[in-house]
This record gives sequence, C-alpha cells and structure tokens, in this order.
Amino acid sequence: MSQDPLEGCRISAGKKSAVSLGKALHPPNLLVVVEGTCGACVAASPVSAPEGSCSYNVAHHHLCVCVRVCMAWQGLQKGETLASLKQESENLRRKLEEERGKLTDVELHQVAEKVETVAALSIKTRRVLKGHGNKVLSMDWCKDKRRLVSSSQDGKVIVWDAFTLNKEHGITLPCTWVMACAYAPSGCAVACGGLDNKCSVVPLSLDRNENVTAKKKSVAMHTNYVSGCSFTNSDMQLLTSSGDGTCALWDVESGQLLQSFHGHTADVLSLDLAPSETGNTFVSGGCDMKANVWDMRSGQNIQSFDNHQSDINCVKYYPSGDAFASASDDATCRFYDLRADREVAVYQKDSIIFGASSVDFSLSGRLLFAGYNDYTINVWDVLKGTRVSVLFGHENRVSRVRVSPDGTALCSASWDNTLRVSRT
Amino acid sequence: MSNNMAKIADARKTVEQLKLEVNIERMMVSKAAAELMSYCESHAKEDPLVTPVPSSENPFREKKLFCEIL
Repeated sequence: MSQDPLEGCRISAGKKSAVSLGKALHPPNLLVVVEGTCGACVAASPVSAPEGSCSYNVAHHHLCVCVRVCMAWQGLQKGETLASLKQESENLRRKLEEERGKLTDVELHQVAEKVETVAALSIKTRRVLKGHGNKVLSMDWCKDKRRLVSSSQDGKVIVWDAFTLNKEHGITLPCTWVMACAYAPSGCAVACGGLDNKCSVVPLSLDRNENVTAKKKSVAMHTNYVSGCSFTNSDMQLLTSSGDGTCALWDVESGQLLQSFHGHTADVLSLDLAPSETGNTFVSGGCDMKANVWDMRSGQNIQSFDNHQSDINCVKYYPSGDAFASASDDATCRFYDLRADREVAVYQKDSIIFGASSVDFSLSGRLLFAGYNDYTINVWDVLKGTRVSVLFGHENRVSRVRVSPDGTALCSASWDNTLRVSRT
Repeated sequence: MSNNMAKIADARKTVEQLKLEVNIERMMVSKAAAELMSYCESHAKEDPLVTPVPSSENPFREKKLFCEIL
C-alpha cells in the first residue's frame, strides 16, 4: 500500500461535503464501504454502498461519512488465493488458542479458594414500578441513585423516581419495541431507540407541563434496529449498537457519525463502556456469539472472545475495567479477563436451562446479578464461580438487571410489564 | 467476479485482524486472578450488597410512604 488510497478523494470526515469517489478509484484497486446519512436527500435515510462495488459514485450526495477503506490491493499477491488465505486464518486461530493456553497456569476459582465465602444475601423486592402497558425491555439508573429510565414494547419511555414511585416524565416514541434506553451523565437527558432504527436524545425538563416528547432529537441512524445505547463520559457523545451488525459513536449536538465499529458478522445486541479511569474502550456482544473489545478512537477491534455457544445478550465491564462478563442464550454467563486475554470463569448449573438476558456486577465486583428467561435472577460469586442466591418475583422473562450507582439496590425490568427495585 | 473480490478482501481482513489479536501482550491467569481478587477485597466494605449496611442508612428502607397528588 505505497500510495495513499484516498488520494484524489475530497472527503472531509465529519463534515457535510460533496464526495466524489468515482474517478479516484482505479478498479479493482479499492473496496470502499461508504456509510452515513445524506444531508441533501429529503428521506435522510442511511446511504451504504454494496460491498465490492469499486466505482460507487457518491458525487450527488452530501455525506456525513466515515469512509471505511476495507482493503487496498493490487490484485492478488503472489501465491495468494482465497483458499490460502482461509488456511492462513485457520493457522492463526490455532496459534491464538495456543498463546492463550500458555498462560493458563491456574483457574480463577482455584485462586479464589482462600477468599472468604460471601455472606448470605437476603435481598427483597422493595418497590414495584407499574405503569408500562407492555414488556419492559430496558432500564438505566440516573447518577443521582434514585431516578431511573425504562423503555417498553408499548413505545413508551418513562422516567421514574424509585423512592417515591413517581413517574416524572413520559415520552412516547412513534415505534414499538424501544429496546434501548440510557440516562445522560448529567441527569438532564435520556437516550432511547429501537425498531425505528434510530437513537434519539430527549432533554428532560423541570417543568412538568412541558411536553418532553416534542423536544426529542434523532441522533443515531442505523440500517436496522438499535439494540443498545450509552452516553460516553459526557452528554455530548452517544455510543449505539445495532441489528445491522455495527456499533457507532455519534456527536449528540450535530448528529455526526464520529466512528463506526465493524467486525461482528451478525446483530450486535449489547454494549458497555469501560469505566472512565481505564480509557477509551468498550465491549460489545452479539448474535455471532462473539464478544469484541474496541478502541473508541481508532475503531479497531482489539480483542475478541468466542466461547459462547449462542447469542450474547448482554455484556458488562467489571468495576476495575480489567475484565467483563457476558450473558447468553446458551444459559451460561461467562467472565473474561482482558489482560490474560481469555475466559476465566463460566457461571452455569445443570438446572439452569433458560437463556440469560442481562448481567451486572455489585459495586466491588464480587457478586454478579444475572436475569434469565425463566423469570429468575441468579446471583453468582464472581470469584468462586458458585451461585449465592436466586431471586424470584417476576412473572415473565427478566430483560434487564442493573445495580444502582451507589450499590445499594438492584433494579430488574421484565416482560411482565413491571420493574422491581430490590435491596437487602 | 466482484463477489470473489469481496470474499478475498474479507479473508484478508480476517487474517490481518487475527495477526493483531495473536500479537497482543498477555498476563498469566494467576496474576490476573490475584488482581481481580484484591480489587474485590479492597472494595468489599464499600459494597452494600456484600457488607450489609444498617437499615437506618439505607435509602430504600421501609418508611411511611406519602402520596403525591399530581
């Protein structure tokens, strides 16, 4: 790749500008996948070039794009064929397994034998939040430790005060299945999205009479449903995951796509940002059974884990940022250490046969709360790998579990249309 | 023809990605596990679900609920 492959292309990344790629490419020199929203088209629907089309001419569009140059190649290298590349990737996969295996001198639960058993957990439901007309699909706590936002199949997003059970705001979306919702770090806005293929940000007003739905602003645009969203450490940037197989980072104010993350080969179902002290990475999990760790600045996939045997429904970082857990339809939850680059624990029992939909850690990271499709929440000892407790109460699948920011309470959302706040 | 090009580009992408993943720096599981354990232990006291907090300090404790007429 001696030449800059984008030489001759006038692209201002992040700015709306006319992009002319037709002439700059010497087919079949480049495979370029162009994504973004067209600022000039009335429909404002995402523009994407079919992969493999070298001469996609985008001169007539004004794109806010992240032009992704897939591969620059001058025909086949000497001796390279599709078969030889496949063989090389097989060899590399085996080498990866080997390298990871070399470091497994001991198992986590063996090291944890000397740790004291965690005290029996007597946690009870203290609040039941009723108000949604259909399955509650997602929820998120506000940093003030008492408010939370929830979203539902009924198209509504509700902001609650969990102490008083007050519904502070109600936002109506034009679509059903609002699968993702998140509270902004400032507490002044919420983000939500789902089957509308968008993620919108709604500023919350202190004025009860104001119609918050009217101030809703579309930020993210995907080509399939939005499965997860999260603000970064400020209200200004939003990270989304989608059924289109990608994750994306957006500027909230302008709606610009700042970075997109490609690598999953099926729907991405969940994402989680690393705790702020540990830098700019996030983890995502999807229907391709893989959990990928990404560098937010470069868009690069840094590490990948494919231990699960079915869709990964949820991923969550350990509080120190050095590890993360995942929940899957294969009825297991797994724990991965990022510096050892491998799975270090599997949380499973023969009696647990239903998929796990959601996981979250307690404040110290010692307990892992996992919601399952058999209506229960299992509490696991992260270090020893044993189950500490089972929480009952929901009358349908548990879709999301989240520990409050101060660690005192657990909120669980369910397909039984309610949310439950539990504590000791 | 372009389908084949796409497959080759995909395969090359996969090879490059795997090369990156194979070459990262790794830590022994014993050391990583020890660090995870020490994190848990050092934060155990601040974790209300591991070290129960007396009920007078807990914001979700039972208290008489008042009704708000909106």
